[in-house]
Amino acid sequence: MFKHKLITWFCLVTFAFSCTPDKLNKTNPNQLTPENFYKNAGELTKAVNSIYAIIQSNNLVSREYFFLHDLRSDDCATGGGQLESPRNQLLIGAQAPDNSVGSEVWNGCFRTVFRANTVIDLAPGAVDFNTPTVQRIVGEAKFLRAWAYMELVTMWGGVPMPLNVPTSTASTLARSSTADVYAQIKKDLTEAQAVLPASYSGAELGRATRGAAQMLLARAYLNQGDYTNGKAELQKMIGAGIYRLQNIKYADNFREENEWNGESVFEIGFASIGEVNWVGDGDDPSWGAQEGTTRTQEYSATGWRNLIPSNSLIAEYESTFKGDPKTDPRRAATFWVTGDKYNNGANTLTDGQVQGNTSSYDGTTTKVSWAKYTLQYKSDPGGFKIGGINHRVMRYADAVLMMAECENELGNSAAAIARLNEIRNRADVIMPNYPTTTYPCRNKDEIFVAVRHERRVELAGEQVRNRDLLRWLKNGKITVGPIAGFKPLLPIPQSEIDNNDKLDQKDQNPGY
Amino acid sequence: MKKIVFLLSFLILSTISLLAQENVSGRVTLEDGTPVFGASVLVKGTKTGVRTDANGRFSLSAPKNATLIISNVGYTTIEIINNGETSITVLKENADVLSDVVVVGYGSQTRKNVTGAISRITNEAITAVPVADVRQALQGRVPGVVVTANGSPGEAPIVRIRGIGSINYSSEPFYVVDGFPGADMSMIDGKDIESIDVLRDASSAAIYGSRAANGVVIVTTKKARKSDKIHVLLDTYYGFQKAWKKLDLLNTEEYVRYATDLLTNAGATLPARFSRLDDPIYAGATQTYRQTNTDWQDEMFRTAPVTQTNIGLTTSNTNSRMYASAGYFKQEGIMLGTQYERFNFRINSDHNFGKIFTFGQTLTLATENKLNENNAGGRTQLKHIIHNVPYIPVIDPTQLGGYRGPSGDDGSDPQNPVRIALQDISRNRLLKILGSAYVEAKILNGLKYRFTAGINYSNFVNNGNAPIYNESFNARGTNQLQQSISNFRSVYLSNQLNYERSFGNHNINVLAVAESQNGKSSFVFGGGNYATNELRYVTSSISDPGVNGGLSEELLYSYLSRVNYDYKGKYLLSGSFRRDGSSVFAPGNKWANFPSASAGWRVSEEAFLNTSKTISDLKLRASWGKMGFNGIGNYAWQPVLLQNTGAILGDTRQTGAFFNALGNSDLKWEITTMTNFGIDLGFLQNRLTFSAEYYIRKTEGLILQTPLPSSLGFSNSTPANVGEMENKGFELQAGYAKRTGKFTWDVNANISTIKNRVISFGENIKSPIFAGGNADFGAFDITRTTVGEAIQAFYGWKVGGIFQSQAEIDAANAIDGNAATKYQDNAKPGDIRFLDLDKNGVINGDDRTNLGSFLPKITYGFNYAAKYNNFDFTVFFQGVQGNSIYNGTKVLTQGMLRLFGAGTEVLNAWSPKNTNTDIPRAVSGDPNNNSRTSDRFVEDGSYLRLKVLSVGYTISPKTLSGFAKGSFSSVRVYASAQNLLTVTNYTGYDPEVGSRFNGALSAGIDYGQFPQPRSFLVGLQVGF
Repeated sequence: MFKHKLITWFCLVTFAFSCTPDKLNKTNPNQLTPENFYKNAGELTKAVNSIYAIIQSNNLVSREYFFLHDLRSDDCATGGGQLESPRNQLLIGAQAPDNSVGSEVWNGCFRTVFRANTVIDLAPGAVDFNTPTVQRIVGEAKFLRAWAYMELVTMWGGVPMPLNVPTSTASTLARSSTADVYAQIKKDLTEAQAVLPASYSGAELGRATRGAAQMLLARAYLNQGDYTNGKAELQKMIGAGIYRLQNIKYADNFREENEWNGESVFEIGFASIGEVNWVGDGDDPSWGAQEGTTRTQEYSATGWRNLIPSNSLIAEYESTFKGDPKTDPRRAATFWVTGDKYNNGANTLTDGQVQGNTSSYDGTTTKVSWAKYTLQYKSDPGGFKIGGINHRVMRYADAVLMMAECENELGNSAAAIARLNEIRNRADVIMPNYPTTTYPCRNKDEIFVAVRHERRVELAGEQVRNRDLLRWLKNGKITVGPIAGFKPLLPIPQSEIDNNDKLDQKDQNPGY
Repeated sequence: MKKIVFLLSFLILSTISLLAQENVSGRVTLEDGTPVFGASVLVKGTKTGVRTDANGRFSLSAPKNATLIISNVGYTTIEIINNGETSITVLKENADVLSDVVVVGYGSQTRKNVTGAISRITNEAITAVPVADVRQALQGRVPGVVVTANGSPGEAPIVRIRGIGSINYSSEPFYVVDGFPGADMSMIDGKDIESIDVLRDASSAAIYGSRAANGVVIVTTKKARKSDKIHVLLDTYYGFQKAWKKLDLLNTEEYVRYATDLLTNAGATLPARFSRLDDPIYAGATQTYRQTNTDWQDEMFRTAPVTQTNIGLTTSNTNSRMYASAGYFKQEGIMLGTQYERFNFRINSDHNFGKIFTFGQTLTLATENKLNENNAGGRTQLKHIIHNVPYIPVIDPTQLGGYRGPSGDDGSDPQNPVRIALQDISRNRLLKILGSAYVEAKILNGLKYRFTAGINYSNFVNNGNAPIYNESFNARGTNQLQQSISNFRSVYLSNQLNYERSFGNHNINVLAVAESQNGKSSFVFGGGNYATNELRYVTSSISDPGVNGGLSEELLYSYLSRVNYDYKGKYLLSGSFRRDGSSVFAPGNKWANFPSASAGWRVSEEAFLNTSKTISDLKLRASWGKMGFNGIGNYAWQPVLLQNTGAILGDTRQTGAFFNALGNSDLKWEITTMTNFGIDLGFLQNRLTFSAEYYIRKTEGLILQTPLPSSLGFSNSTPANVGEMENKGFELQAGYAKRTGKFTWDVNANISTIKNRVISFGENIKSPIFAGGNADFGAFDITRTTVGEAIQAFYGWKVGGIFQSQAEIDAANAIDGNAATKYQDNAKPGDIRFLDLDKNGVINGDDRTNLGSFLPKITYGFNYAAKYNNFDFTVFFQGVQGNSIYNGTKVLTQGMLRLFGAGTEVLNAWSPKNTNTDIPRAVSGDPNNNSRTSDRFVEDGSYLRLKVLSVGYTISPKTLSGFAKGSFSSVRVYASAQNLLTVTNYTGYDPEVGSRFNGALSAGIDYGQFPQPRSFLVGLQVGF
């Protein structure tokens, strides 16, 4: 009897937990799932924010983006032997397909595209898709996607061009042609213009504007040598009267106090929250949000000084030493030179404070460092300093100078010179109007020389020079690159070729 | 397992009782008179039995002429007749290891009936090496098991049974401790372990179903045997450890000479410091840079102590048996800033109550305290050591934080490893509890029911503190503080029915189990910054606080059954079946079946062999089974929306939401099918034994993180069941024991081979999987996993010598008939000429090839133990053969990517005056990419190691009995050395390189992982 009871008891215990297979369905309590998101303007706002966040990341504007453009231009020289090999190889033109700076910008751009595609693909499922807010969000995403493709097509030529969220890991793509990438950029920017507002205020500052879309589109046209359409876009932008040079000091464009000013067309925000975010994608590390940029530490006179201004750039500025009637005040705003006052005038920069290589400056050998986007103007950093200065990715002065270039190419010499002088007449610059002795501007070619000069000094250290050289080389305006043996296209990262079944070694850019 | 001759001596006193029973008492001893404690004495055909006490004595009632069966694990069972003689001396040689019992899943089996591939390691071998983690002690002991040390003290080693089972996930075996599945091994004190059984083939492991694919390791901790006396063993040692090898690095004078060449050849400016080497090293110092010659290896390596003490108590009475222990282990790392410490307590007991019930429990509790090796900037400490500048001092009181590193004036920016070790603290504190209890009832004759409940709990606290400092180039502007606390709890409930019966010559054992196990972990994290270094813990004072947390749950339901059958102990058959349901997979893919079958034939029991004097054992075995793998983490198939990013818009941070990987609801079990053939041979009463295995292990539905091109835009990959992989190998084990005479010894050797091959990637994966790239080591990937080759083969270019002249380069450029298409774009005389494998006249990605595998072709171990009078001696060799290592430390010492400290080899770099060398020219920036992944850095990783050399002396019981009123029952003192000798051609620090951060597909790449120490220790074992 007892044994029978025991058996009954055993069966009860055994099967007590055996018939609840539903318990095997565990859903992740920590995260939402993408299927249940992107359903309204609030969620889509977060989604579009993540695109700005990745552009701000270490892979892009917080670090590798400015390095890549600067290293490829002729505006920079090495600060010393500590310059990391992949950077040094870009500087001397010896980059290989494993170049990490190139790969990281490549990754950052495609992740920007992916996040933009997410918004563009999923926004139609939102309950409020037809409201202006959601339409604007889609416009922002299209602008940001176009921005990423502009980076890619400028530096790598035709690239794989996903326009939707990949549905499977097998959705790999071959390279699209350069023309197709430009066509898509123009389509996105045209559509974006239709829905983006002219400006924002308050906590919306920094979102893509109609003017930014117009300026980027103008860049795309100029890259292809289409000055008529380029001028048209610039005309719309300038004509809208949103942006200005008046009452903006040149140096204010690179300082923390004057962010989102009237000259800023597209600006990526940084803040003194935490330190630099070394995570490639800019995702918050476990110890909290990190919203700083490395720029001040990498470049400033008392920072690491990994890159310094090249001698050719320093020599480009008009100076009385060279016999020009006036020394260009923008030079002092662009560089720190031994003997300069910094920290709001409280300190004087000595040679001993500045580590690394020297430069040639008005006939003397001294230490010259980048000043734009460095915190030294208002602090005595010493040691390690992380900045929260916003990065002006596109600035109105650049648009005005592009306009000058268009006018000149279209044969409107007077208009071109007027645009150039608009830049020179900024209140705290006031350089003699063109034509000058050095830049006589008597014909199209001479005006182009002035355009090149004015762009180089006005936009030094702003990741524009590399684009200019590539554009002029491509369009046959110049024949000499920044260095001997310059390869206009970067290598497709080896990891992309290795992992993309649609790409082969033969798809690699020439020279690699 | 002791294979010791032993001697039984009996003193039987008989009296006549009313029931014709006689009181029988006696004594069981070893040959040398040592009493045998806990031996079982059973009256044959009855349930009457007792255990011997600590003096080997027993007494019980038995009918006259009854047979007494005397047995003890590890010794031959003998039978004697109670013939009423007052004193019997029985001398019997124990030769038969086959009477050993091995632990199998959910039970045990005598070795002679085993049909799978199971190896047993006993306490002696486990405690022969002074290691924190008993897994390390398995190294070289079991054929087919490869153990690789992996990091600083307290880091778990890498254990692989029969090759690699998974491409992206851990191939770590499944651990079962005292019947609790999925236990944490790091908390187990080796001194508490009775034995470890390694289940290598499918028929033995498949009973663990979905978690058995990488083999199963069963740990059994000590239990008391029946006795009426208390027995205490104190076991302690103290020793010290040192690095056994250092590299030749540049001194100050050599460094300046090398740096001058490196920079001058690149047309670069020399660092300003080089013209000011006679300046004081800092303001106020009397020493100059030129006078400074910092040996960064000496600064970081130290002689580090290691010690362990365990005190164990066994006691029992008629109904209860108990083992209790307390242990302490502490090891400092041979590099500054690393340490591991553990306290552990254990209590195991078993109790009979009523006539049919048994209750038993095990409980262990451990606290761990570990200082983690810091990886500042994602770089190993060895990287910082090798790359540091010899004229830079370690200490600089004028710098914030007190340490010094190079500045821009030095043109180099390695971090100061001493500062990292002493200031950037990451400390783990853990509390772990593992306990289980069972009730067993004998329901019917041969039928037992057991209910087991167990819990595994751990609490983990990590504190991180990275203070503000400035050592010149490297600096930190805020004091970073973080703390994370996590909890894990797993509850195990198991119902087991076991039926064991003999019907004539048919013996049968049937097991049926229904069980469940869950796991729940949660964590909370807080971190932030503070403006000064005064704050050392996370409090409300921190700025920019970051908070994180999470909960993760899993659940496994299992039903399983096993039938063992034998006929006369000659023909053995076994079959098992398990059905598992796991929460880890998507709905529809949660359940899977895991069958196995095996058969054995004990040829030696056949009439034609059982009288043989030579062949004492011959058994043929074959087994087959399927096992699963579910170690992919919870929720792996589910796509997640992340919100841990932000944009600065206006002047506010606004949250961003995104996803960066796809989900995969088709994700299901990875299934491993293994076939095993084995033979066991014993000669001369099993003094000489051989055992051989051949296995084929095939994994299908391999879960792979699909390799993704960046252009898809994902940051993370998606797991999918795609590939197939195969491991094949032979395993051989041989032993000989001399058990008689004053000089006894035994020798054991094992050797195994392995061949790993990826068979397919399935439909959706069209490109190989690359891994291992790191910008400090040339940024190209280092391994490639592709169909038809072994997993993660080293993959890169081949060196074809050095270009001696521009003419050679020009000739190479013209190979394809067009001098404009360069052979190597930036080659100059002195640069490496890589081989043009595809013969197209241009070196590019298509010229890379398989450069070798990290998997050893052969692994082996050899153990010799001897005793002479009171002395004992052990020597244990262990090694691997035929594997390659990607020597990243050689990239650091000879890569010459840019200005850093380096190895003395760079002084032999190519120059127009020094052309007879294989070191390319020194040129900063490495424009020719001489440091790219190539066979230049692939080295033979074979090694032979004298793992243990130990000598001990045991004081004889006679001497002890006259001392301290006989309080001491045994005393042994010993001295031992570990890693005394390593024979290898590997030129890095240590050939055991493991896998950094346990990274996927990067095993065998030496990024400068923590090297294994050489240690010396003295120990004492005292029994009371």
